[in-house]
Amino acid sequence: MNVLHSLLRGKERKNNLILMLLALSIFIAMTILSPRAFLRPANLKGMAVQFPEFGILSFGMMIAMISGGIDLSLVGIANLSSIVAAVIMLQMGDSVLSIVLGILGALAIGAACGVFNGFLIGYLKIPAMLVTLCGLQLYSGLGLAITKGPAITGLPERYGEIANGSLIAGIPNPVFVFLAVAIAVGYLMRSTVYGSHVSFMGTNEVAAKYSGINNLKVTIYTYLISGLMGSIGGILISSHYNSAKSDYGKSYTLLTLLIVVLGGTDPSGGKGNILGVSLAVIVLQMISSAFNILRINSFVKTFVWGLILIAIMLISKLIDRKERR
Amino acid sequence: MRSNIAKLATTNEAIVAYTIVALSMAIGIINPAFREFSTVITLSRAMLITLIFAVLQMMVIVSGGIDVSFPAIACFSSYATLRLMLSFDIDSVFFFYAVAGLMGVCFGLGNAFLIAKMELPALIATLGVSSVANGATLAFLGTREYSNIPEGVDQLSRSFLFSFTNSGGITFQMTSLILIPLILLVLAYLLLHHTMLGRGIYAIGGDRFAARIAGFNVIRIQFFIYMVAGFLASVGGVTFTILMRQGSPQNLMGSEMMVIAAVVVGGTRITGGHGTVFGTLLGVLLIAIVQNNLIMVGVPTHFQSFVVGLIIVLGTGITSIRAKRVANSSKV
Amino acid sequence: MSTSFLRMEGICKNFGGVKALRNVDFEVNTGEIHCLAGENGCGKSTLIKIVSGAHQATSGTIFINGLEEKKLTPIASIKRGIQVIYQDFAIFPNLTVAENIAMNSALMQGKKRMNWKAARTLAVEAMSKIGAHMDPDILVERLSVSNRQMVAICRAIMNDAKLLILDEPTTALTHHEVSMLYDILRKLKAKGMAIVIVNHKLDEIYEIADRLTILRNGENVATGPLKEFTRSRFVHCMTGREIVDNLYIPEPSSEVILEVKSLGREGAFKDVSFTLEKGDVLGITGLLGSGRGEIGDALFGIHPSEEGSIFLNGKPINIRSIQDATTHRIGYVPEDRLTQGLFLTRSIMDNTVAASIEKYFVKGRLDEAKMDEVTWEWIRRIGCVASDSKAPIRTLSGGNAQKMVIAKWMNINPSILILNGPTVGVDIGSKSDIHKILHEFAHAGVGVIIISDDLSELYYNCNKLVVMEGGLSSGVIMTNTLREEELASLLHGNSLEN
Repeated sequence: MNVLHSLLRGKERKNNLILMLLALSIFIAMTILSPRAFLRPANLKGMAVQFPEFGILSFGMMIAMISGGIDLSLVGIANLSSIVAAVIMLQMGDSVLSIVLGILGALAIGAACGVFNGFLIGYLKIPAMLVTLCGLQLYSGLGLAITKGPAITGLPERYGEIANGSLIAGIPNPVFVFLAVAIAVGYLMRSTVYGSHVSFMGTNEVAAKYSGINNLKVTIYTYLISGLMGSIGGILISSHYNSAKSDYGKSYTLLTLLIVVLGGTDPSGGKGNILGVSLAVIVLQMISSAFNILRINSFVKTFVWGLILIAIMLISKLIDRKERR
Repeated sequence: MRSNIAKLATTNEAIVAYTIVALSMAIGIINPAFREFSTVITLSRAMLITLIFAVLQMMVIVSGGIDVSFPAIACFSSYATLRLMLSFDIDSVFFFYAVAGLMGVCFGLGNAFLIAKMELPALIATLGVSSVANGATLAFLGTREYSNIPEGVDQLSRSFLFSFTNSGGITFQMTSLILIPLILLVLAYLLLHHTMLGRGIYAIGGDRFAARIAGFNVIRIQFFIYMVAGFLASVGGVTFTILMRQGSPQNLMGSEMMVIAAVVVGGTRITGGHGTVFGTLLGVLLIAIVQNNLIMVGVPTHFQSFVVGLIIVLGTGITSIRAKRVANSSKV
Repeated sequence: MSTSFLRMEGICKNFGGVKALRNVDFEVNTGEIHCLAGENGCGKSTLIKIVSGAHQATSGTIFINGLEEKKLTPIASIKRGIQVIYQDFAIFPNLTVAENIAMNSALMQGKKRMNWKAARTLAVEAMSKIGAHMDPDILVERLSVSNRQMVAICRAIMNDAKLLILDEPTTALTHHEVSMLYDILRKLKAKGMAIVIVNHKLDEIYEIADRLTILRNGENVATGPLKEFTRSRFVHCMTGREIVDNLYIPEPSSEVILEVKSLGREGAFKDVSFTLEKGDVLGITGLLGSGRGEIGDALFGIHPSEEGSIFLNGKPINIRSIQDATTHRIGYVPEDRLTQGLFLTRSIMDNTVAASIEKYFVKGRLDEAKMDEVTWEWIRRIGCVASDSKAPIRTLSGGNAQKMVIAKWMNINPSILILNGPTVGVDIGSKSDIHKILHEFAHAGVGVIIISDDLSELYYNCNKLVVMEGGLSSGVIMTNTLREEELASLLHGNSLEN
């Protein structure tokens, strides 16, 4: 009960409640509108495989935002990590060891890119937006340099099991990966010293420094974790499609931004919660699937994402202004 | 006097200029064809559209904001207007620019409302608008590319100012469209440097609160900035359509990075308040030289993205470090 | 013949249910320097904002030059010749001196074009009027604080200012710069300008004011020529109570907490030595730039020392970073509370535990209940007026917020507590509360170091003093061997007789 209480406090509580209701209403609406298409096991499975991909990326964006910055390079890190994993696995053939090494390679890349980002932001004090925008270009470019253009295919079958298989009760594996990461990140942000420090730093960097918080360390850890989120996402994506390419998921940058803002993360830093972001992920996945089932043009999706983002920010700003009065 | 020269010689713009010169010499040695005047013509063509966008972005960034919606606005307005013209058999360059420009201004109005009036963070607001514009273009206007540009308009793409034949016997023509960015650069310089409105843009970027109490109408100036940015985005889109002789709903998407990078490399600080038109020109030039000559230096195509990324990281890093150095230096 | 320039009668200002100003009369004459004093929250900034047009009075009348002003907007206020110089000057660091100075008048005249030559001439003219000499083409971001203030003043007078209001103008100035500022103000006064200075520093008020108005709780409690105010009357009007100042004399102790030997850093200070025994409150003072703040920076690891040694409880320690300092349990209450000391949007509880989060990481998670408990303990112990520990700390007054900043550091159970300007912008009531608390902590064994330029604060609350000048220290002076005036003279460069 205590856990639940600490998961829902104050304004976060209201926001999360709204999201839960939203998720429920969309689910119900879709069940009524196209029960056969929506409730089809294939569709539910499809949703369950897909949302962890951008969902985990959103966690990275969330952490970066809480720290007072932003991570626009996540998609680039995801692709680069998956490419490196693919190269390793193709070199080493089809074995458990090869896959493990591939995954480790991907994670190492995510960590390295993250540390690079964190260093530029925390030590050289270059604004996060600029660093990660450039980073996106750099990491994607590196990925392109390795693949020389076309996607890398023919990955080990067992690797595909990660995203496409299900170890427990027919529930796709990515769901468990998502849950595990969500719980880990949630614990990190809510219940550790580091989590408090990130939040303080995002609220007021100067006061954090003067309170004895090591801003440089916190920043580097933050983007390191974000980078890892990127590579985990990349692993899921490449496992799902059995290929690694340097420009997958281009639309995910906007999507992750939308998700974290919808999930109650404050763009100016200091505030955010994992439950909110997770709920936002699910809401957006359902809207996305709904669009597919209702045969709505996928470009309309882009249009709608933009509208929702603007709407959320406006509503949140209006509420803020009313409260200040 | 001497200290003035010393000051000039170490500005950001100067460093970019040195880099351009050094780079040009290096490339010129590896590839003699580079040293011919034809390079100026090809580079101008390559830089054309980016320059238009860079001018608008520079203005926005100097005022303390940012605009990543310009490619989407450019695509929407130029594509919509083209389709309009094709449907109603209108063949007028003026119509093309005017109507597309109007659409751009409307988008700019939207941006201005969100950023100036509702005080939303500029990055996220313009990202949202970008998505809306881009989605609307592809969803409601279609995905087809049009190559049948109206004849009168198409003529503009073929008109040229002068031509040059290089030592290899190839003739290069300097397109008349180059006048557009050139005129824009001059106008931007005059505006930013010689009008109170322009100084107001710098003032807002320097200290928004101080600008307000100094008597600047901050909100009005911001509306101006974003609406002009929207207009210029459309101008860029139309010019691109004419130059490429093709109407595309999404070819310009993804160019945000390059434009912002060019602007920052040219000395404009991403935090606002600092930047020059000349520096922006240099920044665009540098990136254009790099992008267009990597193949000649032997960098394979698939490597180019990475190399450009590296250079951008370096360039923006240097600008930021310099800015920090000034902030921490001893005060007079 | 001095006439009334500004006359405010019966001014009331309500913000929702809060009565910020009640029936305030305020009058400023031409050719006079009028000081406006009062505790934090007394209404002086609200009054100033009404004069500048930023706020509208709820009721009351304003007369400028005898004519009633029905509605005073910012533009109208500027047109009448009222210029306010805020604490952060509100000038543009990314523009040149000339632009900053000439900008306002160009805007007022509705100019569309930017005339660089005219701006430069205007700037030079303005600077000569007040005796400043700066390169008009230099970017303001390269100027020192004092020069920036000059730019702000030049800009103000270029607008044909008739009433100049300066909000706490001396906070960041050295004593010499304050003298220069006062010379300029006297020059302007001689030309007939009406000047209002919002200031809380007694000594400075006595140096410059012709007339004084004191606000308390939104009411004008006293107005009159300076000579009608003795020091005790001044304090009584400000706080409504009698504040008795006694010298702080701790019980003698031989337990040495901190020993600093020949501490130095190039360009900042050299050969500084002192010891802190249990019960000591050490005061470090000196003009800005003399090294007083820099010693605190060195002890807290912000700008580490380069030579010399530090001994904490007898053991030598090395402080190379803020993390080193906090590991040795050294706390630091910074000068600029708003940006350096507080997380304004966070709760009182968050602010209180910000430096000691590690203590509450128990059994794998953060114990929020304990954090709240500890916050309430501190609120009670330190005398902070707060009703909800989860309310954002920006809802607290300056004095109460400062108390919680101190609580934040006391929560790490510090061996040393360094405070830089601990009572700046704090009301006199809280000020004396804070001094009392610091004495209690010193008595309990915390080495307390106060860095300040407030002479009476240092004189009455520190038993040991170090006076810095040009990076060199006077050595440790026992306060009880000095008279208060001697301390002032020592600060201005005259060495002690004995």
